[in-house]
Amino acid sequence: MNASVDRASAQNNRQATASRTSRPVRRGLKIRTKLLLLVSFLLVIPWMGYESVREMEKFLLEGQEQALELTTQGISSILGNRSDLFDPGVGVPELVGSSTGNPLKTLEEPLAIDAPAGVWAQAIGELSSFTGVGLYECGADYRPDLLAVRHAMALNADMLFAYFEIDDDRVVLRDPGLLSLDSNDQIRLTIQRGSGEVSRYLLTTQEPGRISVYLMKPNWREVVNGEALRDIVGTLEPGEGGYAVKIRIPREFLGTGARLKFEVVDVDDEASRAIRQIISTEPDPFRFEFGSVRLATPELAKLIQPLYVAEANITVWDAFFRVRAQVGSVFPPVREAFGRAPQKRSFLTQIEDRFLEFFEWILRSPQRGVKDMPVDSSREDRRLLSRVIAEGNSITERRRYGEAKLIVTASPIWAAGNMEGAVLVKQSANKLLSLQYRTLQRFTLLFLGVFIFLGIAILVFATRLTYRVGKLQRETEQAATPEGRLLKNRIRAGSRSSDELGSLTRSISALLQNLGQYTQYLEKLPDTLAHELHNPLNVVNSSLENLQYNHAELSEDKHLQRARNGVGRLRSIITSLTEAASLKEALTREQVQSETFDLALLVRNCVEGYQAAHPGYRIVPNFSEAPVLILGVPDRIAQMLDKLIDNAIQFGSENGLIIVNLRRDAEFIELSVLNDGPSLPDDIADRLFDPMVSSTKDARKTHLGLGLYIVRLVAESHRGTVRAENRRGSRGVEVTVALPVEIRRRG
Amino acid sequence: MPTVIAIVEDDPDQRENYSDVLKSHGYEVRTYADRPSAEAGFARELPNLALLDIMLGEDMDGGFDLCMQLRNMSPTLPIIFLTARDSDADRISSQRMTAWDYITKPVSLEFLVARVHALLKISDQLQSAPTASTTVSVGALELNEDSMLVRWKGQSVSLTLTEFWIIESLTRNPGHVRTYDALSDVTRQGLVERNTINGYIRRIRNKFRELDESFDRIQTVHGTGYKWEQGSA
Repeated sequence: MNASVDRASAQNNRQATASRTSRPVRRGLKIRTKLLLLVSFLLVIPWMGYESVREMEKFLLEGQEQALELTTQGISSILGNRSDLFDPGVGVPELVGSSTGNPLKTLEEPLAIDAPAGVWAQAIGELSSFTGVGLYECGADYRPDLLAVRHAMALNADMLFAYFEIDDDRVVLRDPGLLSLDSNDQIRLTIQRGSGEVSRYLLTTQEPGRISVYLMKPNWREVVNGEALRDIVGTLEPGEGGYAVKIRIPREFLGTGARLKFEVVDVDDEASRAIRQIISTEPDPFRFEFGSVRLATPELAKLIQPLYVAEANITVWDAFFRVRAQVGSVFPPVREAFGRAPQKRSFLTQIEDRFLEFFEWILRSPQRGVKDMPVDSSREDRRLLSRVIAEGNSITERRRYGEAKLIVTASPIWAAGNMEGAVLVKQSANKLLSLQYRTLQRFTLLFLGVFIFLGIAILVFATRLTYRVGKLQRETEQAATPEGRLLKNRIRAGSRSSDELGSLTRSISALLQNLGQYTQYLEKLPDTLAHELHNPLNVVNSSLENLQYNHAELSEDKHLQRARNGVGRLRSIITSLTEAASLKEALTREQVQSETFDLALLVRNCVEGYQAAHPGYRIVPNFSEAPVLILGVPDRIAQMLDKLIDNAIQFGSENGLIIVNLRRDAEFIELSVLNDGPSLPDDIADRLFDPMVSSTKDARKTHLGLGLYIVRLVAESHRGTVRAENRRGSRGVEVTVALPVEIRRRG
Repeated sequence: MPTVIAIVEDDPDQRENYSDVLKSHGYEVRTYADRPSAEAGFARELPNLALLDIMLGEDMDGGFDLCMQLRNMSPTLPIIFLTARDSDADRISSQRMTAWDYITKPVSLEFLVARVHALLKISDQLQSAPTASTTVSVGALELNEDSMLVRWKGQSVSLTLTEFWIIESLTRNPGHVRTYDALSDVTRQGLVERNTINGYIRRIRNKFRELDESFDRIQTVHGTGYKWEQGSA
């Protein structure tokens, strides 16, 4: 017989047993996962928080907007009916510049007239472009590539500086041979003095460098005075694609309430010397008044100064879109900015900074709002103002520049039914954003803390719970064998705990205890039963004997014989019941009597005895003479063999062949008894070694199914296992006892 | 003088059956159903032999109590326990009270009568002086069939009647195997399982080992039976 095949079948057998009784494992979430999933629902809280902060922001923005509207309207009503403030003649003529630009820059140091154009450009501040089609006196055929003008002005204590960058495809300077002054590239300056007197000055030159200035008649052709003026000084500096012009005008020369207008005249054809294009710094050249001169009124600024709102820019405009006064800025003061002074940082603080950066990115730091805020938003302001002036109503709007938010309200200023101008207030929502940011930051930190704490707490709790449940499960599983026999009657782990798991443990313990008692009762039942049966059996037996004794003639009576047979069978049943019941106790008691003996010899002797006792059968030992030493109780092993042989005979075929095998390998000694009887019935194959399980169908053969149970008890007391399977290849059943090798070799 | 046998058994059917068979063999029989009546009866008249059930109605160990009382009254009175209880503990208790025999139910009446005969005979022998002629020596073992006396290396071994019969059977032919069937006959209990024989042998060995730890004369011939190994001594 192939031993490896045999082992495989044995393993199959064990696996089959295991699968029959193993606990069903279902796929699915474990407690810990479930709890952590539950914790993840907490992530809704930051979303809620974020939403509520957003709501709050909206609410606050509305509040801010209303406050701003009120401020605007307040300013406009204060300025109402104060035509004097908007009178062009009133105010200091200091501020001159582009029509809608910001107030002129004030310079600390005067600009040298011979300084390079680059120095001027840098010092004088932002240049306004005069290239837009239709805005200026350019005509329908204006081409920006032929002429473009960028211009700015600045002030210092006693001078006004004007700077021009002129893109001209062809620079045509004054021809010294020609008398006329106007047949070349030139700049015309018109000054309306406070008295209303208008003077026209033509600035022209024959070569780069100093510019000559002439007072002209209104036709710009004839000179009032042939002498060049010394008050106004200018230089021309050729540049790439054109030239730059620097002009210096003494403020004394202008006087009080003066207005300025510059026109850049372009001549491209050196032969015809015709004027091709004029670009004016004045949007409405047809008006008589020189609208280009913007006069900021200090009184106006003084009036609105007390109404200043934090991070707000208040501008007062006249009806011609000219800024008359400006207070405040939408940018926060530097110290309120969010930048950090760079310093040496440890690794930890660097991580912290990274974290904070990420934080700011997530929470949309208001610092970005500051960055995104445009320096100049005059175009949008103009659009809003034109609507205000057109409709005569207050208008409020919110603007977004990237992350920056701006609230803008504009209100008209009325004077005796005429619209005198408008007040425009811009306020950054930055303050709100930073408030929101701080709230979110605090909230997020708090939430993160709570989330981490809760997460860890629940993880610990769940781990502990899982551990306890796992332990309970293990102990419960260990409390009984896969066959369902109880190994212990209480569960120790966690039984003291006061929670539900503890009470579950106690319940299981109680259940096991009850089950144990019941099992004990069941195990004792055969013994009790046997004991109780002995007395009536004795009555029947002794009565029969008395009957026979008193009536000798009945001794051959068939009914009496049958009665005695019945008593005999009853008696053997009871005996086997008590044998099994007392065996368990006896086995534990006898374990100390273990000795090392030759199993092969014992089996061979026994087989000889069986052969003698059952001459009708052939009982054959099928193993070598070599001793197989084993540690055990020989009497019990012999008893086990008795039962194996009894079983083989009982379920084998009449006068059949019974083979006894003894094999040994590294781990096990396998003793098997094979018969040639019918196969094992499927329905009891698994329970064959349980008490009171028998496949016998013959009513007259007394079989309680205790034989193989005794085999199992003895095998288990020797730490072995038993199994029964149908023989391969031939009819019959093989019952095998596998005992672990525990050999102490003698010598 | 008639031989009086006392039967203490709570079950009337069994009691009467024992009584009937013993009467028919010419013995006088006194039957008692419980301990008080038995005590009263023993006080009136001491029987020649007592047949006791251990469990008497509710009285779990009534038989043992009676045995002790009887033993106090007469050190040589043969006492047989006839009981359904088959535990080692009960057997040891009975031995401690120097009962002469311990039979488990169901008992064959025929064998019961034989045992009663045998014990009465031994009792008679003990009352007269034991005759050395009936003593058999097998090595260190001395055996007196008439008085059921066994000595191992000069020390008396207290055996029940059945155990004595088994020893006698084993030593009758030392070195030869006594099969289970032969031993079963010797016990005079009707059909006896191998396991029961094993039990007897185990108890006999234990009794010898109490006196002599190295006792190993009774050897198991697995699957067949037992033999008395003569040994060198």
